[in-house]
Amino acid sequence: MKSRNILLGLALGVIAASSLASSDLTGQSAPDFALKSSGGENLRLSEYRGDVVMVNFWATWCGPCRQEMPLLDELYSRYQRVGFSLLGVNIDDNSSKAMDMVSELGVSFPVLFDSRKEVSKLYEVDAMPVTVIIDREGTIRYVHHGYKPGYEEKYLDQIRSLLRE
Amino acid sequence: MVTKRLLISLATSMMLALSVTSVAQNTETTDAAADSRSEFRSLDEDVQDLKKEVLDLNRDLFLLEEELLFPANSQVAFFISMDVGEYFEIDSVNLKIDGKEVANYLYTEREAGALVRGGVHRVHMANLKTGDHELIAVFTGSGPHTRDYRRGATMTFNKGIGAKYMELEITDRVKKQQPEFVIKEWE
Repeated sequence: MKSRNILLGLALGVIAASSLASSDLTGQSAPDFALKSSGGENLRLSEYRGDVVMVNFWATWCGPCRQEMPLLDELYSRYQRVGFSLLGVNIDDNSSKAMDMVSELGVSFPVLFDSRKEVSKLYEVDAMPVTVIIDREGTIRYVHHGYKPGYEEKYLDQIRSLLRE
Repeated sequence: MVTKRLLISLATSMMLALSVTSVAQNTETTDAAADSRSEFRSLDEDVQDLKKEVLDLNRDLFLLEEELLFPANSQVAFFISMDVGEYFEIDSVNLKIDGKEVANYLYTEREAGALVRGGVHRVHMANLKTGDHELIAVFTGSGPHTRDYRRGATMTFNKGIGAKYMELEITDRVKKQQPEFVIKEWE
């Protein structure tokens, strides 16, 4: 009976983990977009083809985003020189709030502003934050909804395996 | 004798009556012929009218069929090109057709560079029905002395049968040291 419970718990755990990391978009070609960035220039996703790209959707009102962003910035600083790019897509209506938060947190990766919410719709963003990892070929490989401490380890593993491909 | 006279007068009167009837009949025949002639004429006119209507309908159907069966012909493509680009650095283009926004394209540094080097970018492709349409293009970017610059260009164009190509050209006006935005149709 005990071993049965353990098995059941294990199965539920696997289902929960897979639902956490999978999405309808996984395996599909990443929809292209161009947005204005915090640096003033326009950035287009398709111009990063050849790099492993992480697209992180965030908002100023989202607590977990605030927690996650400095950790993502560490990943960016560490792997940027070996073909890893990170685009933070802010979905606030007011981009000045986002700018304030970026300078407060001191993140160095480019932040884009999706005030018209067109890109969030393309990527079916239904939670905050949403982190999409795209391979060198431009295919969406992982989608993570929300953030809990420890997710960064998962991101690290996934990025490293995609960089090795 | 009297009976004989009576018989003659009866016969005469009968003959007279008959002749009168025949005259009357003759008149009636002429009227009927005239009536039938006019009836024929009006019928002929009706047939002609109907024929014309059928021809008109046939023409309309043909045009409709052509419009429906050849959707590629309803295509209108809009291209952006840049000549020199010394007085204008493009940031984005917003296109509206008949008051409806159809494209809002942001140019990256690399794309803007490609335009300056002579590239032509197809910014939008639409399927439009035949007739007049209004195109409004709003260009944003940095103008002379790297100032923010926003300019619009409007044009009404006629979409006939067959694909149409429109070019939105950004050129330098050296005399005024200003950029110029021109919309033109490809022949």
